[in-house]
Amino acid sequence: MDYFFIIDFLQSLVDGLLFGTTYALIGIGFTLIFGVMRKLNLAYGAAALAGTYIGVAASLAFDAPPPLVFLLSALGSGVIGILVYYCCFRFTPTHYPMASLLASVGMLLFIDEVVIHASHGMPFPYPSVFRDATIELGDVWIRGDLLFVFGICVVAMAVLFWLLYRTPLGLATRAVSQQPRAAALCGIDPTRVNLLTFGIAGILGGIAGAMTAAAVGVISPIIAMGLTVKGLIAVVIGGLGSIPGAIIGGLLVGAAENVFLLLRGVTERDIYVMLLLFLFLTLRPGGLFGSSAGRD
Amino acid sequence: MKLKSLLAAGLLGVSTLALATAAAAQDKTIRIVGFGASSGVVGIFGQNSSAAMQAAFEKINEAGGVTLADGSQAKIVTEYYDDRCNAEEGISVLRRIASTDALVAIGPTCSNVAEPLFGILQAKVDDGGDTGLQFPVFTDVAIKGGLAGISEWVFRNTPSEATMYDSLFAWIRQTHPELKTIYGGVEEDFAHSRFTWYEVMKKAAEANGFEVVGEAQWLLSDTNFSNQARGMRRAEPNVVAISAHPFTTCGMLREMARQKIEPEVLVGLTSSSSLETISGCAAEAQGLTIPTSFAPVNQEAIEAAEAVVAKGGQMDLHSASAWENAFILRDVINAAGIEGTAESLEEDRRKIRDALAQLTEAPGLLGQNKRMPDGEAVKPYVFVHAKDKGWEVLHEPSS
Repeated sequence: MDYFFIIDFLQSLVDGLLFGTTYALIGIGFTLIFGVMRKLNLAYGAAALAGTYIGVAASLAFDAPPPLVFLLSALGSGVIGILVYYCCFRFTPTHYPMASLLASVGMLLFIDEVVIHASHGMPFPYPSVFRDATIELGDVWIRGDLLFVFGICVVAMAVLFWLLYRTPLGLATRAVSQQPRAAALCGIDPTRVNLLTFGIAGILGGIAGAMTAAAVGVISPIIAMGLTVKGLIAVVIGGLGSIPGAIIGGLLVGAAENVFLLLRGVTERDIYVMLLLFLFLTLRPGGLFGSSAGRD
Repeated sequence: MKLKSLLAAGLLGVSTLALATAAAAQDKTIRIVGFGASSGVVGIFGQNSSAAMQAAFEKINEAGGVTLADGSQAKIVTEYYDDRCNAEEGISVLRRIASTDALVAIGPTCSNVAEPLFGILQAKVDDGGDTGLQFPVFTDVAIKGGLAGISEWVFRNTPSEATMYDSLFAWIRQTHPELKTIYGGVEEDFAHSRFTWYEVMKKAAEANGFEVVGEAQWLLSDTNFSNQARGMRRAEPNVVAISAHPFTTCGMLREMARQKIEPEVLVGLTSSSSLETISGCAAEAQGLTIPTSFAPVNQEAIEAAEAVVAKGGQMDLHSASAWENAFILRDVINAAGIEGTAESLEEDRRKIRDALAQLTEAPGLLGQNKRMPDGEAVKPYVFVHAKDKGWEVLHEPSS
């Protein structure tokens, strides 16, 4: 094992873990919605991307500074998340889970097409911060912009935890997640909780979309499918419904794809990541942190 | 009184007949249909082609349209079908077009659509054992080399990348004799990018004395290029060639800038000489050199580009081909004795095919295009480079 290989391995691991936080955020969004409604929102990645484009529009129209662009991306995605809730989940029959799942697939394609139509499929520059900053630890470089992405994602997760475990809204969300009927009997309005959950998950998705675009420096509709797939893999590995699981899953997916890229090349990289997904689905379907606890 | 009435009725009848004939002549139309990706992530190519076709046919119609076999004039009507850069949809779209009164189709956008789609056409004309579709297709965008050979009903007006890159690397060798090494970057999952690096750029570079010191691969939707750029940084190449579409070209260029990779010459894929690259990463693309068969270097090209912009598109090497195809087809229709009736449709399509096959030269925006016996074209080209948020002509090989 030569020196360059060790350096490359460490570098791939560091880059993957830092970038994996965006997958973790997407995973948290999926898991948050699933935890509360027991339903998958497959339009989530597309909504995150659409929100990111709202930030781009502000950037192009008003030459908005990066923090404002990021904020608008996150808020825009939150609003789109709420729209997705109303269109795909609020009025679909609860006893037929396929209805909302398929509605969200339709919404994914719809949002994707609207974004492509509005942007003509063209890549647009997205503001980055600390783009040229690099921390050099010997021959391993830590990108300043990825460190920023990592930091923002960690802050977003911390805020989410505070929201879930330190506020009445979080209490209500957890109550609906665990026992929706009992929560309703206690006076909690499940519709309002669902709505807020979609909004919060949307904001997290918008942050993930913004940070992905900031890390590349360019945004294109191409990234929507990647975000959706990677986010889903992260939650399957971490355990659907578990927030710590989504975080660990996201970091693992980020690290795995970079390490497999180094070891097996780009054409085989995704095969191994998918193999990881397959192994978890067959050997540990609940994921790393999946809860076996039921609900009514 | 009776005679007067008869005369009046006769005059009325004759005038009505004359008016009807004139109206019928005025109403004659020839349908030429475009198809390609006008939605999806490469939708901009189809949108530009569609705009170029509309602008060109509008100009042709303003000048009187086309002349049919009986000497009458007909207007060209056109529409654009979307195949979403999907092979199955492309085949379905072409079958649908062939079932209408369309005389000929211009398209498709994507090489991965063109290759299987050309396979459903009759391979050899007059081959009774081949039940393939007998419908002429005149390709504007799908650029992967050699595809016209699949069927004798296919003609292409796409530039020869092999010729252009060979010329480009020869020019780089001549102007920078001190440069020795090249590193390639390729978008591995896109037919055009992959073909152009492995079969065109790499071979042209080696043929002109450059040593390939490494290759980096990535996928169309990748967002992280640090691994690939690291290999490039270590190889310290003199020349870097990136065979990728604008989104990943921009991603890779940014990563190269971050890792301070500064090759003396940066070469890009033909399809990247577009507004997309400039809009995505003008600063990082500065100096990116690309051979292209379109640049607004003469009055005709400038006016064509303006007409396409007025239709909501952009003129680049691909949409320029759509524009040229429209005018080539006008000349072919004028010369081929097209009848333009429902009864003569099959015969008219065959006449278009035969006339296109007989062409040895055709007018283009940068000069005369050579028409080759295999249905391909050899087009004039220039080298452009990204400069100050635009594309500027760097060198004209013919000058």
